[in-house]
Amino acid sequence: MAKTIVYSSQTCPWCRVAKDFLMENNIEFESKDVGADLVARNELMQKSGQLGIPVLDIDGTIIVGFNQQAIKEALDI
Amino acid sequence: MYDLVIIGGGVAAFAAAIYAGRLQLKTLVIGEELGGTILLTDEIANYPGFKKITGLDLFRKIKEHAQDYDIEILEKRAESIEKQTDAFELFTKDEKLKAKTVIIATGTHLRKLGVPGEDEFANRGVHYCALCDGVFYKNKIVAVVGGSDSAATEALLLTEYAQKVFIIYRKETIRAEPITAQRVDKNEKIEIINNTNVTEIKGEQFLNAVILDNPYKGSNELKLDALFIQVGQIPLSDLAASAGAEINEKKEIIINRASETNIPGLFACGDVIDSKFKQAITGVAQAVTAANSAYEYTTNLPQPNESF
Repeated sequence: MAKTIVYSSQTCPWCRVAKDFLMENNIEFESKDVGADLVARNELMQKSGQLGIPVLDIDGTIIVGFNQQAIKEALDI
Repeated sequence: MYDLVIIGGGVAAFAAAIYAGRLQLKTLVIGEELGGTILLTDEIANYPGFKKITGLDLFRKIKEHAQDYDIEILEKRAESIEKQTDAFELFTKDEKLKAKTVIIATGTHLRKLGVPGEDEFANRGVHYCALCDGVFYKNKIVAVVGGSDSAATEALLLTEYAQKVFIIYRKETIRAEPITAQRVDKNEKIEIINNTNVTEIKGEQFLNAVILDNPYKGSNELKLDALFIQVGQIPLSDLAASAGAEINEKKEIIINRASETNIPGLFACGDVIDSKFKQAITGVAQAVTAANSAYEYTTNLPQPNESF
């Protein structure tokens, strides 16, 4: 299974939508809270060059925002 | 052939679906991005029956309620719509759908400020949702541009993170609801810069200042870490207009009290229509009215008063 990281915060609604979408599709993922975790925040900036969330890293494919089509393609689901 | 296709994916669309489901219309909800702009609202405190609920939770409750009935959902973009003599044809990228009636509940998208630097610094200091991105600005200096109740609410939310929040507004007095205005007045972190426009957004890798058309404390440059833009919404009415629906100068779809447009069988509701007061509760009311009107239309009952 692809390694999936979700960069998100406690309050961001589209982050919740994105995580729920992954869970509904039985995709395991690691969640990193960029609100509390500054290392995660730097990672987010390095990988995506910006501060909008959610950002998904699916085996190195970086998806900014909840883009269901792009997520499906990256996960091949 | 569907009895009803509802175009849109927000609370109005699914409220219409609840009623259509109850009325046993063969119903499809087609929406590209389910949830809509209500997801950007942290706290809804004016929806009867819920003292306090987040936009996402309210949306999910309404959607789940709709799914209690036998309705279909297609998560795609409706590309075009054509009125035939006895039905409508709708097209997605891959499908052609037919429906006796259509409800447009396409809502709005956030208006951009339209100044240099806005796109360049998008998500790098320029943001449109405090709930989403406010978390990055703990102890920073930020500003909200706009003077609506939404702008004031965004500013209040940002005070939970930032050390200082400016509200930059082009007119004299912000037009927040009294309860919001009072909270803004009492909040020591908020300062209103009125009669002022942001004319440019500057920075290097990230935004670091905005240019004002009126000097603030002797300077037209205001140092900031982020600018949250909240200058209104643009109705997504192009699809309805292409089907012949009458649109006003604000790009809103004109409907009557039965949620009918000028095109027989085509109804509209929610933030996309020509009402002054746009709330979840008003959109939901227009939506159930639209579903009932669609039902009456499909069953050839006498039509509601067609005068506007």
